[in-house]
Amino acid sequence: MSKIIACYKWVADEADIRINPDQSVDITKAKGKISDYDKNAIEAAVEAAGKLGGQAVTLTFGNAGAKPSIKDALSRGPEEAYWVKAAEADQADGAVTARALAAAIQKIGDSSLVICAEGASDTYARQIAPRIGAILNLPVISSVIIMTFEGNSLVATRKLEDSLETVKVELPAVVAVLPEANNPPLPGLKAVMAAGKKPLTEYSAADLGIDFKPRNQVVAVKGYVMNRKNIIFDAGDSVSRVKELAAALRKEGVL
Amino acid sequence: MSGIYVYSDRLEIAAELIGFAKSGGQAAYALCFSQAEADQLASRGADKVIYLKGDSPLPENYGKALADYLKEQDAELLVVGATARGRDMAARVAGYLDCGMVSDVAALDYSNGQLNTERIIYGGAVVQSETISGFCVVTVAGGKFSPVSGQAEIKTVAVQADPRVTLVETAPITKEGVDLKQAASVVCVGLGLEKEADLKMARDLADVLNAELGCTRGISEERHWLPVEQYIGISGAVIKPQLYISMGVSGQIQHIFGVRDAQFIVAIDSNEKAPIFKFADYGIVGDMYEIIPLLTETLKA
Repeated sequence: MSKIIACYKWVADEADIRINPDQSVDITKAKGKISDYDKNAIEAAVEAAGKLGGQAVTLTFGNAGAKPSIKDALSRGPEEAYWVKAAEADQADGAVTARALAAAIQKIGDSSLVICAEGASDTYARQIAPRIGAILNLPVISSVIIMTFEGNSLVATRKLEDSLETVKVELPAVVAVLPEANNPPLPGLKAVMAAGKKPLTEYSAADLGIDFKPRNQVVAVKGYVMNRKNIIFDAGDSVSRVKELAAALRKEGVL
Repeated sequence: MSGIYVYSDRLEIAAELIGFAKSGGQAAYALCFSQAEADQLASRGADKVIYLKGDSPLPENYGKALADYLKEQDAELLVVGATARGRDMAARVAGYLDCGMVSDVAALDYSNGQLNTERIIYGGAVVQSETISGFCVVTVAGGKFSPVSGQAEIKTVAVQADPRVTLVETAPITKEGVDLKQAASVVCVGLGLEKEADLKMARDLADVLNAELGCTRGISEERHWLPVEQYIGISGAVIKPQLYISMGVSGQIQHIFGVRDAQFIVAIDSNEKAPIFKFADYGIVGDMYEIIPLLTETLKA
């Protein structure tokens, strides 16, 4: 049966990232999560499988730490998971990630649709769907908010800055969805239980023959400094706090 | 023709990118996919306007043709305006040429064949600096460089468009009168707001300040109380008002990304530990249902 592949990334939860006083970045205590927008990609694949027929599956490229993502992803509805497991994922840039995912998509075989989110919640680089399309020579539709199917064709509405553009393509194709495309429900207990029994296929770098050489060289990673005044009015009652705030804003000339 | 190639589906951004390319003393070639764009670009100071001519109305369908052309020309760098179309085109070219790409850079410098960039990751918490040597692609939002002027010759090159994606229809997005990006003041509501009817309280404050009303992603995408055009954050509107006042906004960094360029950030929230206070110039810890009406009254006076 033809597969509908949702790609996702297991990322560090940015809420747990600590910036040290010297501006160095500590992500060692950050919990992992499925990139927020990728939940929309997974839901879009499940919905598309319902309309188009076929089997929704998930695909990720990550190191051994991405293990918990498999059950999480499968609890959201897809029937099978694929995992390109490689330590090199940590240093991957857009070129390497797209190569790894594209190689896996080829290995998986018969697929009608590849669905990504526009971008990952850590890097938000928005490169992967167009790059996969280019590598596999598949047509790409990005910024998608609505998908309908007519026979073997996808009719997709894209949201651009000031227009909605509806385009049509014969499948197979690669799609990048915006968060507005759907509302992924929280998985129920039953779905979570069932997820553990669904099949997982792991690919190693050797299975796929991936070139892991990044094109981009990261030379520095630093905490972003936002210099703000941090003046909190906490003395007196609400009336006097509000008056102090209004006076401060007048003085700054922004009223 | 070796040199810097620039593309944007927005004429103003294209003109700025030509300005960037020329500022380093390199040749600047402006790319486009229609005669109308070519004519407009011709007075924007490029060394040449390159019109890749095919039979599709969708710029994205020229991704492969553009990649092939840049390779043939031995281009040094492709700089693309970071719009929905631009980001897509840029990543396609990078995919076809299997080259490096840096998206939505906050800063960039190109010298001696090396691209140095800074971009924001982890929803605004972290700045990552990267370098790439050899041909690469970079996208950058409008407003970072000054446009230049000057006449350029238009060179038309016949190319093959990818026929697989066809245009069905296009419709303008009817904005509901709110343009957060242009607003001088913005009042923003977050999930601390208890019910939809309480938006009136925020609107009253916005009216007094002559401000636009914005919200967090949760208010528009989970509760559907305001249109998605009104949510502020990394995947929504990125704004730069003089004054931003939040109420009931906890201050997740994806949201903060959208307001980091505000001149003054004011936060009102009942939770003194809310991250928003770290990003605020002024704050009041308190019940917004008490503070906001008081503030509205005070500002009216």
